[in-house]
Amino acid sequence: MTTVIHADGVGRRFAGRRVVADIDLEVRDGEIFGLLGPDGAGKTTLMQMMTAILEPSEGQLRVFGFDTRRDAAQVNGRVGYMTQGFSLYDRLSVIENLQFAARIRDVTPADFRLRSQELLAMAGLGDFRHRRAGQLSGGMRKKLSLCAALIHAPALLLLDELSLGVDPLSRRDLWRLLRRHRDEGNTVVISTPYMDEAERCDRLGFLYEGRLLAVDTPDRLRRRVAGPIYQLTTPRLDEAEGFVRSWPGVTSLQRLADRLRIQFSPGHDVSETAQAHLDELGQLMAVEPNLEEAFIALSPLAAPADRPPMMPPAFTTTGVEVRAEHLGLRFGDVVAVDEVSFRVPPCEVVGWLGPNGAGKTSLIRLLCGLQTPTAGQAWIGDLSVTESHRDLRGRLGYMSQHFSLYPDLSVAENLTFFAGVYGLAGRQRRLAIDWASHMTRLSGLEERRVHTLSAAVRERLALACSILHGPAVLFLDEPTSGIDPLSRQRFWHLILALAAHGMTVFVTTHYLEEANYCHRLGLMHQGRLIALDTPAQLRLTLNLPNDADMEAVFMAGIERQQRRPA
Amino acid sequence: MKLKRIAAVATKEAREVLRDPITLGVALLMPLIMLLLFGYAITLDVDDIALGVLDEDHSPASRQLQQAFTASDTFRLSASLQHHREVERTLQEGEARLVLVIPSGFQRRLYRGEASPVQLVVDGSYSATATLVSQRAMAIARGFQRQEGSTLLSLDTRIWFNPSLSSVHTVVPALYAVILMAFPPLLTALALVREKETGTIQQIYASPLSAAQFLCGKLVPYGVIACLQMAMVIAAGLLWFGVPFHGSPGVLLAVSLLYVLCTLGIGLLVSAVTRTQLAAMLAVLIITLMPSFLFSGLLFPIFTMPYLLQLYTLLFPGRYFVDIARGVVLKGVGVEVLWPSIAVVALYTLLILVLAAWRLKKRVA
Amino acid sequence: MRLPSLLHKELIQFTRDRVVLFLILWLYTVEVVICAYALSLDMQDLPLVVADADHSPASRELVRAFTESGDFRLVAQLDDPAAVTGYLERGQARAVLVIGEGFARHLLEGSEQQLQLLVDGSNANTAAVARGYALQTVEAFQRQWAALPETPAPGVIPHLRTWYNPGVTNVSFVVLSMITLAGLMVGVAHPAASIVREKEAGTIEQLMVTPVRTEELFFAKTLPTLLVGLVALFPSLALVGWFGVPVRGSLALFFCLTALFLISAIGLGVLVAAISRTLQQALLLTFFGLFPLMFLSGTLVPVESMPRLLQAASLASPLRHYLDITLGIFLKGTGLDILWPHVLALVLIGLPLYGVAWVIFRRQ
Repeated sequence: MTTVIHADGVGRRFAGRRVVADIDLEVRDGEIFGLLGPDGAGKTTLMQMMTAILEPSEGQLRVFGFDTRRDAAQVNGRVGYMTQGFSLYDRLSVIENLQFAARIRDVTPADFRLRSQELLAMAGLGDFRHRRAGQLSGGMRKKLSLCAALIHAPALLLLDELSLGVDPLSRRDLWRLLRRHRDEGNTVVISTPYMDEAERCDRLGFLYEGRLLAVDTPDRLRRRVAGPIYQLTTPRLDEAEGFVRSWPGVTSLQRLADRLRIQFSPGHDVSETAQAHLDELGQLMAVEPNLEEAFIALSPLAAPADRPPMMPPAFTTTGVEVRAEHLGLRFGDVVAVDEVSFRVPPCEVVGWLGPNGAGKTSLIRLLCGLQTPTAGQAWIGDLSVTESHRDLRGRLGYMSQHFSLYPDLSVAENLTFFAGVYGLAGRQRRLAIDWASHMTRLSGLEERRVHTLSAAVRERLALACSILHGPAVLFLDEPTSGIDPLSRQRFWHLILALAAHGMTVFVTTHYLEEANYCHRLGLMHQGRLIALDTPAQLRLTLNLPNDADMEAVFMAGIERQQRRPA
Repeated sequence: MKLKRIAAVATKEAREVLRDPITLGVALLMPLIMLLLFGYAITLDVDDIALGVLDEDHSPASRQLQQAFTASDTFRLSASLQHHREVERTLQEGEARLVLVIPSGFQRRLYRGEASPVQLVVDGSYSATATLVSQRAMAIARGFQRQEGSTLLSLDTRIWFNPSLSSVHTVVPALYAVILMAFPPLLTALALVREKETGTIQQIYASPLSAAQFLCGKLVPYGVIACLQMAMVIAAGLLWFGVPFHGSPGVLLAVSLLYVLCTLGIGLLVSAVTRTQLAAMLAVLIITLMPSFLFSGLLFPIFTMPYLLQLYTLLFPGRYFVDIARGVVLKGVGVEVLWPSIAVVALYTLLILVLAAWRLKKRVA
Repeated sequence: MRLPSLLHKELIQFTRDRVVLFLILWLYTVEVVICAYALSLDMQDLPLVVADADHSPASRELVRAFTESGDFRLVAQLDDPAAVTGYLERGQARAVLVIGEGFARHLLEGSEQQLQLLVDGSNANTAAVARGYALQTVEAFQRQWAALPETPAPGVIPHLRTWYNPGVTNVSFVVLSMITLAGLMVGVAHPAASIVREKEAGTIEQLMVTPVRTEELFFAKTLPTLLVGLVALFPSLALVGWFGVPVRGSLALFFCLTALFLISAIGLGVLVAAISRTLQQALLLTFFGLFPLMFLSGTLVPVESMPRLLQAASLASPLRHYLDITLGIFLKGTGLDILWPHVLALVLIGLPLYGVAWVIFRRQ
């Protein structure tokens, strides 16, 4: 087997700061190699160096035997690169985008016809050849970007954050394309923060703070986890968590909606007395480690994921019920939300799942009053979202997909500003800011400007800004896209804590594992709400086994819906 | 050079432009609007100036003097004053730009053949207007009922190239330079920086396309737009404003192409060194639009500027093209006379394009 | 509490934006200085070529009369009149004085003769000025030659007095008009950019789910630009002093009316922001919206030189009224009793702009 990428002590500095350092790596011909790491670990920088659009500041990087510094043009001609953001021209149609990508790489018209037909068909874009790229959904755009990177059949394909913001259905298509490309004898390098995606790679590199922690197959990486791992299913989570936290040797404690996952460092295990107590609380069983736990075990982190700080809030919230009746929203001929009716009791975390364009974001915007419904009505507590919009504003929290913060202000200035616009002043404001920044662990970062922060910190700040005023209902629109596993875990612990304080929380997400944290799940498809229930109940109705993972639940739900006559 | 790659970039860019109605509309309409505004408004002649008269003589002669003023198109009687006190107020309120004060005894002195003073009070706040108004008023007053004495020396003035001294003829050819400097750089600069902001440029970096090929492809559609603008402006100048065309259209066309390349290159250079659209626009504003208005000789002749600023004007290609355009259109001269200016523009263009290609290294950072 | 928070945030953001700060300072100072030095009205140093076939003391005297006033600058002196064409064509000379053979002899004999002046008409304005200068010079030369007594000639003797600008220099006008221009650019561009940026970043949506009211947002976007526009006047006022521009009226009134003007300019900026979705659109709209406003204001071209229709249109440009106000206060020393029609006009222009922007914003 030959080596496609050969890195020897590669590093990169930006303005004196080391972003990537001491990378020794070999990527072999014909494999799918995954770079796994949290946000800010240096994945994108490493990918850009491999593409030869960024020069390494130290070490040597050879791609197909060409030095990326001296023979950049040679490398450029042989790779396909898909950037993290969208690299399409919105005003060009699907086929025109592909054509452009092909022609600047000297693909002959005959080859282009053949390959474009094949690729588009596989990506499920065959019917959209003449649609403008700007009018495609997020998942379709990703698929088109991948097609564009594949159009010249590059021997090496580099994909930065393949599945960022992509729904599970589209992700299946993406992976089909990738595997086929590999099976034709080509090499693929992807970077991802998602564990389930990393599972599908042939080999993985764990990247953490610019350094490679380990390189191996997913299986062998998992086996490197030395300590035992247990799962405790219990209705009395608080009690159980408090109990487990007192044990020595716990490196990670993951709290889901109805269970705890406990990871021990090597040499530690559950003591017998503890075992007896836990059996009272619920059902304890030893489980196989997942990649997330492998990653945490290998990273020099200050584990365990500590308990979210339970400082008393600066306000009291009484949870309210959220209710919708035949809620609808259409833009011209497009139905974004179609006759949605539901009732969500207070203090619950409700996860909204569905493919891109299913209407999740529109639904949240309707409930926040950012959009006026074209049909039906919704109530938060006793207040109608259309008629009492103004009174409601102070009682809602909203965090949009893009973490709407002011990048040129510091953390403290953002917090003060948002507290101010919610009408908090003086002591009350100080207390609220203290509480929110403590909850979201922003202490010590107050003076940093937001544009210098990583996505994970920005996310926490956005959350802090939206809970300052103690909203009764909190809406989170894809809050964790692009966030690394550990931060995500902490984020969810926080959300559950907030719900325990009396907030009703609505979350949309693409990351199906996160659905485990939710008390209740709403599945949406083509604007309709096709199911709203607890995960256990959903598995039951969909005839799935008790331990079926969320992806299976999601797929089954969508398939059931598609089988139904319209 | 792989022509096919350049063609691919050009096609893509053309499609994008054609599908952006705001940009396209602005690109094609604004030059015409500018031309019309300039053509009509920069007649540096003045008509219909509001005239105030304070006549203390109330005589036939004083009325004749008034008539001498109002008979020309330059002045229009807007206020008859009764008292000296009103002069200031009339000027302050802007009711009159010029007040003619005819003292009592005007007719008596005039008929006796004595010197007969009158006062012309001009509002100097709009200095350009004030200068013109004073010149006209002085000429009318001096010429009033004066017999031409015999003169030894007379001056036979011949105005070349523009015998009617029409401002439109002056302004329109120079506008070719300004309009081509205002729009194409802005369009190209925004087009490239937009690719940087959206991230599509990384796709280009990671392809075998060289920086030169990429820039060439980008130049084509904007070059076509710029040439269209040029053609529209020349046509409007010829047909609408009746500007004569004495020289060879071929020469103007050829040099225009060169100049367009130069202005587009400036846009590309700006976008190669800036990262955000706001910064790109400000830079374009500072290095192309302002200088081409103020320091190209369009309105303010360069030779009256302080020496240092004259050197400063040499930095902007607009001034050379103003010379070339006026030379070809009004003077009817050709390459044999204009070659130094043309050579400078050519050198400039080359330099700009090389710089742009060099600055746009195919690198993220 | 909400309003102070909004204002505080706007002010911090403003101080963080280096590029914009630089531009504003540049507009209010460097631009003013360059233009004040460069754009003078009094044409001097007109390049002149002399073709002197006479080579006499008298002809040399005449040439000196042309150059010593500073109106003309001698570029070349030729013998052959045929060679002058090239100078005009290449633009090396704006005027050519042709002195024929026998010039001195004719002068001594007292017989009439003609001098020839060739003027490059490609810049009509320069040509007219050159002709005027030449006529004056020849007339003076002739009087001096004939040693005519300086007794006042019979006929009308006009005494010209230029008020508010005795030296008839362009400096006061350029300095003041550049300051008004800077006010317009900042007043329109800054609020437009700051609102559209919030639109693009999505923070405006974030604000819409908070109890902030539209009017509070409007106010918060208006006030900082207003403050900046007023503070930026101080360096400009220093320049006003530097260039010796008189300050005859009340500076307090000037500041008040500047505020009023800025408010109507900001109204335009808010309107641009309401219409556009992206920064590029906002920038293009600002760029092309400002152009006619500037053009029709009298800052570049005197309003009186425009055709009637454009003169009427210029009444809609807030800059025109502001320019009249500024010139009035600084040069003429006028007060509110005279300036009130302009003040009224500014109010009438500003209100509908806000109204329309308001309606569009509410609908979004």
